[in-house]
Amino acid sequence: MFKRIWSLAAKEFLHLLHDWWMPSFMLFGGVIELLAVGWATSRPMTNLPLMVLDQDRSAASRAIVTALENTGTFAFEAQASNMATIQDALDRSKVNAAVIIPPGFDSKLASPTGRPSLAVLLNGAESTPATAALRAVTGAVREMGQRIALRRLGLDADEFAGFDASLRVWFNEALNEAFYTTPAELGLMLEFTTLLFAALSFSRERELGTLEQLLVMPFSSLEIIIGKSIPTILVAFSDFVLMLGAVHFVFGIPVRGSLILLLALAFGYLLVELSKGLVISVVSRSQHQAFLLVMMVGMTDFMFTGYAAPVESMPRVMQIVANVVPAHHWLTILRGILLKGAGLDVLWPNILALAVLGLVIGTFSLRYVRRALD
Amino acid sequence: MSFRHLRAVIRPEINHILRDRTTFVLVMLVPTAMLFIMAYALTVDIKHVPIAVLDYDRSPTSRAFIQQVTEGEDLDLYAQVDSLDDIDNLLTRGEIKAALIIAPDFEHDLLSLRGIPLQIIVDGTEPKSGGFAVDHIGGRAEEFISEALASRIRALNVNVSLDSLQPIDLRVRALYNPSLKPRVDIIPGLISMVLGFPALSVALTLAHEREHGTLEQVLVTPVGRAEFLLGKMIPYIIVGLANVIIMPAIARVTFHIPFNGSFPLFFLLSAVFLFAILSMGMLVGVFMPTQPAALALSFLVIFFPGFFMTGIFFPIASMPAEMRMEAMSLPGTHYATITRGVFLPGVGLDVLWPNVLALLGMGIVFTAVAALSFRKKLG
Repeated sequence: MFKRIWSLAAKEFLHLLHDWWMPSFMLFGGVIELLAVGWATSRPMTNLPLMVLDQDRSAASRAIVTALENTGTFAFEAQASNMATIQDALDRSKVNAAVIIPPGFDSKLASPTGRPSLAVLLNGAESTPATAALRAVTGAVREMGQRIALRRLGLDADEFAGFDASLRVWFNEALNEAFYTTPAELGLMLEFTTLLFAALSFSRERELGTLEQLLVMPFSSLEIIIGKSIPTILVAFSDFVLMLGAVHFVFGIPVRGSLILLLALAFGYLLVELSKGLVISVVSRSQHQAFLLVMMVGMTDFMFTGYAAPVESMPRVMQIVANVVPAHHWLTILRGILLKGAGLDVLWPNILALAVLGLVIGTFSLRYVRRALD
Repeated sequence: MSFRHLRAVIRPEINHILRDRTTFVLVMLVPTAMLFIMAYALTVDIKHVPIAVLDYDRSPTSRAFIQQVTEGEDLDLYAQVDSLDDIDNLLTRGEIKAALIIAPDFEHDLLSLRGIPLQIIVDGTEPKSGGFAVDHIGGRAEEFISEALASRIRALNVNVSLDSLQPIDLRVRALYNPSLKPRVDIIPGLISMVLGFPALSVALTLAHEREHGTLEQVLVTPVGRAEFLLGKMIPYIIVGLANVIIMPAIARVTFHIPFNGSFPLFFLLSAVFLFAILSMGMLVGVFMPTQPAALALSFLVIFFPGFFMTGIFFPIASMPAEMRMEAMSLPGTHYATITRGVFLPGVGLDVLWPNVLALLGMGIVFTAVAALSFRKKLG
C-alpha cells in the first residue's frame, strides 16, 4: 500500500515540477506578500497632510502648530488663506485635517479666564487616518491646556503628577502594530494556501479529464486521497515555516512559547483545512468554481478570527458560531504561543476544540470524498 | 475592429457563462457576498470588553471610580483581583482584555489635585478591545478629575470658573462622516477590492482556453487579437456592473452608508475601473500557461495589493515612498478614491478626473500589452 501511495505522491510531485507556478507561489508568494503587507500596514500613522488657517499669527498660534507637528502624526501641507481653500482640499482628500486658529487666540489664552476656541476639521471620508488625527490633536491640545490651567490655578507644576493614567501594554510593550497584524496575516495565509491547493487537487484533474484515468488505475480511493494530500501538506507546512521565519526575523515577532508545540499545532490545523479543501475539490466541477468556493469559505472564516472585529463584541449567535470555526481557535493559539508565551495549560480548550473539529471535519471529508471518487 | 467579430466572441462567452449555472451564480455572488461579510465585520461595535480591577486604595473614591468605569455596556467587570499575578494569568488566558490598577494613594492624590495614580494594562495582541478600554477609562477619569477640580475651586474660593481650566475650547468636526465610523468609508473602499474578482475570473478563463488548447482554434478565425480580448472581457464587465448596482444598494439599505454623489457618474466610472482591472486580469491570463499559475499571479498582483495597498485601511500618505508609488500604479487605489469621493463628499468629475485618466491609461496599456504579447506567446 505504501509503495502505491508513494508512486501516486511521486506523480503529484512531477506535476508540481512541471507546473511550477502554483507551488512556488505557495512557498514564496506567501512570504513575499506577508513582508509587503507587513511593511505597508505595520507602521504608525504618520505624515498625514495638515492644513492650517492661522487668523491670529501669534506666538500661541505658532505654538499650537508646532505642538501638532511634534506629535509625529502630521506633515504640514499648506497655509490656507480662507475657509473655501480648506473645504476644497478636504473635498479632494488632499488633506486629512485642517486647523483653524481664530483671531485673538493668543490674547484670550493669556487672560486668566479667557477660553479661545480652536476649530479642527477632519476628513471623515478616510476614517482611519482621521481617527489617528483626532487622537493626536486631542492629546496635544490637552497637554497645552493643562499647562495653562495649572498656571491659572497657581499649582506647582513639580508637585503635579499629571492627570493621565499611565499605560502599560503587555505582550507588546512597544505597542508595535506588527505584533498584532502579522500573526493574524500569517495564520490566514496558511489557511488560504492550504485550502486553495487542496481545492484544486481533484477539480483540476476532473476539468482536464485525467480523473477518470486515475480512477481506473489499481488504487483504492483512500490511497488516491493520501497520495494527493502529501504534496499539499509538505508545501503548505514548508510555507508556514518560511513565513514564520520571515515574521520573526524581519518584524521581530517573538516566539515566546514552545516552537515545537506551535509547529505541531500548525500541522494539525493544516490537516483540518486540507479536509475542507478536499471537499470543495470534489464538489467543484472546474478549477474556477473551486477557487470561488475557497474565497467564500475563507472569507467567512476570516470574520471569526478577530482580525477585523473582536468576536466577543459580536452578537451572541455569532459567538457561538465562532466556536465551530477552526480558524478562530487557530488564531487564538497562534497569538497565544507567539506573543503571550502560553502553553498547553492555557491553550488546552482551543486545542481540544480544534482536535474535535478536526476529527468531525476530517471524518466527514474522508467519507464524502471517497464516495465521490468511487 | 469589427462589431460583428466582437459579437462572435462575446456570444459564446456569455452562453458559456450562462450554461455553467453554478459558476455563473458564484461569479455573480462572490463580490457582493464578500462585501457583505467584510462590511458586517466592520459594523460590529466594540462593547462588553472584559476587564479586571486591582484596587490597592480601597477607598470610597476608588470604589465610586470603579463603579463609574464599569457602568453601562462598554466594559464588563470580569473580576476584582488581589495581585498582579492574577492579572497576568487572566490576560494570558485571554479572559480579560485590559486591567485597571488603582494605586494606594488614589483618593488622597485626586482630592489634593496631585494627579491621578492610575495604571491601565492592556493586551497588546488585541489593540481594538484594548484601545477601546483605554479610551473609555480615560474618558471616565477625566469626568472624575473635573469633579475633583470643581470641589477644589470651591474650597480655594478663587475667582476662576471650571471652564477656564480647560483653556482651549477644542471644536472638532469630521466632515462627511461625523462620528468617524470606520464602516462609512471602508465599505465604499472595499467595493474596489471585491470588483477585483471578475478580473480573476477573466485571468482564469483565458488560462483555461490555453490549458485546453482552444486558443489556437480562435487564432485561425478572422477575429483580431484585440477583438478577441475585448470580447472575453465584456461579459465580465457586465457581471461587474450588475454588482455595481447591487453593492451601493446594500451599502445604503443594510449598512446605512450615505450616497451623496451622482449614481450615473458612479456607474460610468465603475465601468472604466472594470476595464482597467479586467485588462490586468487579461494580462495575467495571457502570460500564465495554466489556471493554477494564473490564480497564483492574480493573487500576487490583484487580490492582496487590492486589499492592503489601495489606502482602504491604511493611508497611502503614511506609506514609505516606494510603496506609495506602487500604490499609485494600482487601479484599485484610484477607484477607491473615486468610490469614497462619490459616496461621501459627493464630488464629480472636476475633482476625480486625474483618477479617471489614470484608470483609462492603465486599461489601454494593459490591453495593448496583452494583445501584443498574445500571439508571441502562442507562436
